[in-house]
Amino acid sequence: MAKTSPLNLRMTVYSSLFTALIIIGGYLSFPIPMNPVPVVLSDFFVLLAGLLLGASWGFTSVAMFIFLGALGLPVFAGGKAGLAVIVGPTGGFLFGFLAAAAVIGWIAGKGKISVLKDLVASFIAGVIVIYSFGVIGIMLVLKTTLLKALAIGVLPFLPGAVIKVIAAVILAQVLRPLLQPQFKSNANSNDSNDNQ
Amino acid sequence: MAAINIFHYLPGNSVIHRIDTRIKLVCMIMLSITTSLMGRVWDYLFLTIILLLFFWLSGMPVPRLLKELKYFHLLILMIIGIQAFSLPPAPGAFIPIPGFTLAGLKSGLLLGWRLVVIVIICLLFTGTTQISSLRRAVEWFLHFIPGLPAARIGTMFSLTFVIIPLIFDRAAEISDAQKARCVSGRKNPWQRISFMVFPLLRRTFEQADEMAMAMESRCYSEVYRKTAMKTSGYDWMALGFTALVCGFLFLL
Amino acid sequence: MNILETQNLTHIFPDDTIGIHDINLRFQAGEFTILSGTNGSGKTVLVKHFNGLLTPSGGRVLFEGKPITANLKYTRSSIGLVFQDSNNQIVGQTVAEDVAFGPENLGLSPTEVKRRVQKALTAVDLSHLANQRPYVLSGGQKRKLAIAGVLAMEPKIIIFDEPFTGLDYPGVRQVLQQILELHHNNHTIILITHELEKVLGHAHRIIVMDRGKVVMDGSPGKVIAGIENYGLKKPHGNVETMTWLQ
Ligand SMILES: Nc1ncnc2c1ncn2[C@@H]1O[C@H](COP(=O)(O)OP(=O)(O)O)[C@@H](O)[C@H]1O
Ligand SMILES: [Mg+2]
Repeated sequence: MAKTSPLNLRMTVYSSLFTALIIIGGYLSFPIPMNPVPVVLSDFFVLLAGLLLGASWGFTSVAMFIFLGALGLPVFAGGKAGLAVIVGPTGGFLFGFLAAAAVIGWIAGKGKISVLKDLVASFIAGVIVIYSFGVIGIMLVLKTTLLKALAIGVLPFLPGAVIKVIAAVILAQVLRPLLQPQFKSNANSNDSNDNQ
Repeated sequence: MAAINIFHYLPGNSVIHRIDTRIKLVCMIMLSITTSLMGRVWDYLFLTIILLLFFWLSGMPVPRLLKELKYFHLLILMIIGIQAFSLPPAPGAFIPIPGFTLAGLKSGLLLGWRLVVIVIICLLFTGTTQISSLRRAVEWFLHFIPGLPAARIGTMFSLTFVIIPLIFDRAAEISDAQKARCVSGRKNPWQRISFMVFPLLRRTFEQADEMAMAMESRCYSEVYRKTAMKTSGYDWMALGFTALVCGFLFLL
Repeated sequence: MNILETQNLTHIFPDDTIGIHDINLRFQAGEFTILSGTNGSGKTVLVKHFNGLLTPSGGRVLFEGKPITANLKYTRSSIGLVFQDSNNQIVGQTVAEDVAFGPENLGLSPTEVKRRVQKALTAVDLSHLANQRPYVLSGGQKRKLAIAGVLAMEPKIIIFDEPFTGLDYPGVRQVLQQILELHHNNHTIILITHELEKVLGHAHRIIVMDRGKVVMDGSPGKVIAGIENYGLKKPHGNVETMTWLQ
C-alpha cells in the first residue's frame, strides 16, 4: 500500500523481522545429502537481510541478534545464549555475520541492482567473510593451527554455504519488489484473510 | 504454536527475582567479566559455589540447569578434546596417545568449566527476569548514551519477540496447506524448502507492513518512554555483594 | 457539527487500481454506523484514510471540522482503529505492556499510563490476564486486547475492521457486547462487516460500498432491500432486532 508511514518505522519493523528470522534460522537445522554436518539457516537469513534491507539496516538486524544473545536470551543456534557463545569457539562466526550483512548490503546496494552483483556480493559475504571470521575465532579461542581450524570450521560446511548463497540470491529477486513501498501484490493480504 | 520456547523466564518471587533488573544486569555483566579474566582452579571453585547458592535462592528447579547445560555439552566436550591435543608435549613425559598432553587436558577442562560458569550466570539472569522488564532496563541504560536511539532499540527488542511466534503461526499454516497439496512428497530438500520459504516470507512481509501501520495508528513515536522503575536499599545490597565477590576474586 | 467528514476522497494505487473513488461522507457524534460491501470494495482503504495512514490521491478528511493532517497525533488518538487481524496490532511483550503502547507514545506520565491501562483492561474484562504473553490468548481475547490498546488512547471514534472474522460464537458475542458497551459510553462507532445478521439491529445507519464507491447509505430498514445487488447476503428476519446477542 502507498504508505505515509515514515520509512523509518517500516524499516524498524522489517529489521526486527529479520532479527527474528535469523534467530529462528538457528533453530532450524536439516541434513543435506552427502554431507556429514547438518546446516542451519541463520547465515542464509543474514545474507537475505543484507540483500533486501541494505547495509545499515541489515547490519542492525544482525547487531540486534548478537545483542539479545549477549544479554543472555537463548537466541543463538540451538537455543544457546550469552557471552559464552560470543567468546566461545563459534563466536567468530557471529562477528562474521555482522560483517557479512554490511558487506553484502554495501556491494549489492551500490549503483544499479543486478543479479550478478547480488551473486558476487553474496558469495564474498556468505563464504569468504563469514568463514574468515569463523576461522580466526576458532584459532584464537582454541589456539589451533590454521589447517585444523579449516578442517573443523569450514570444510564440512562449504557445500551448504554455497547452496545457501545461491538460494538467497534467487529469493532476493522475487522478494525485493515486495519491499518497495509502491508495490501492489495481487493477492492482497486483507482479502485472503476474509472468511466468508 | 510456539513449539520452540525461546523464553527462559520462570515466574517466581525469590530474592533473585526481586532485584531491580538494571542492577541485576550490571551484576551479570560484572560476573561474566570476572569469569573470563580469572584463571585458577580455586577461583572457579569459589565462584561456582556462590553461583550455586544464588541458584538455590532463585528457586529454579535443578533440571532446568541440567537442560540448559545439555545444549552446551557438545561445545564443552569439543573444547576439552581440542585443547587436550593442542599443547606442545612436555619433554620426558610419556603418554601413549599421540598429541595428547596433561597440561592440554587441564587447560581444556578449565575452559570447559568457564563455559559452564557463564551458562549458569546467564540462566540465573534470564530465568528470573521478564523480557519486558529486561527491555526497559536496556532502554534505560542506552538512553544515557548520546546519539543512540534508545527508544528504537527498545522497540526492536520487543518486536523481535513479538514476531517470532507470528512466524511460527504462518509457518504452521503454510505447511498444513502444503501437506494438503502433497508438496512434501517431493524428494529434493531444497525444492521443499523453497516451496516453504517463499510463501512464508511473502506473508510475513505483508504482516510486517500492517504492523508498521498499526503502530503508526497508535501514534508510534521514538521518544524515550519513562518508566516507573525504582531501586531500593535491597537492590544496592545485591550489587554490593556481587562487587565484593568479584573484587575478592581479583585481589586474591 | 459533523465529527468526521470526507470530501471527494479518492485513493488510486500506483498500479492504477482504484482503492476508493470520490467518497463524500459525514458522521455525527454518537452514531453507530455499519460499513459493508464485498471483499475488495474499499472499506479498509477508506478507514485507513480516517486515521491518516494513507495519503489521498485526491480530496481530504476532516475531523471536528479541521483537516486531519493538521494534527495527526491528535487525530490518531481521537480516532481509534482496530485492525482486521489483531495479531498485527499487538506489539507488547505482555498484555498490559501492549495496552500501554499508545499512551506511552502520547508521552503521558507513568501514573497516567498505568491508570489508563487498568481502565482499558477492566473495560474489556482482561485485567486478570494483564501479565500474560499475548500470543497465548484466544482469538476473542486477542481481539479484546486490540480494542483495549485503542481504548487506552481515549478516542472519540472507534473503527472496527471486520471484528468478527475468525471468531467462534462466544467470541463474536463477547466482542459484540464490548462494542455495544462502548457505544453506550458515547463513543462514535464505525463497524466494518458483511455479517449483517450479527449486528444490524444495533446500527443507526448502514453504508454499502462497491468497487471503491459508496452505493447505498441510510437507515438499515431502507438499505436492506437493495443489498443483494451488491453481492451481499440479505439477512432474514426483522431488521430492527437483528443481533447475535440474546
Ligand atoms: N497495497 C495495495 N496495492 C494496490 N491495491 C490495493 C492495495 N491494497 C488494497 N488494494 C486494492 O484496493 C481495493 C480495496 O481494497 P480494501 O479496502 O482492502 O477492500 P475491503 O473492502 O475488502 O477492505 C481492492 O481492489 C484492493 O485490491
Ligand atoms: Mg478489508
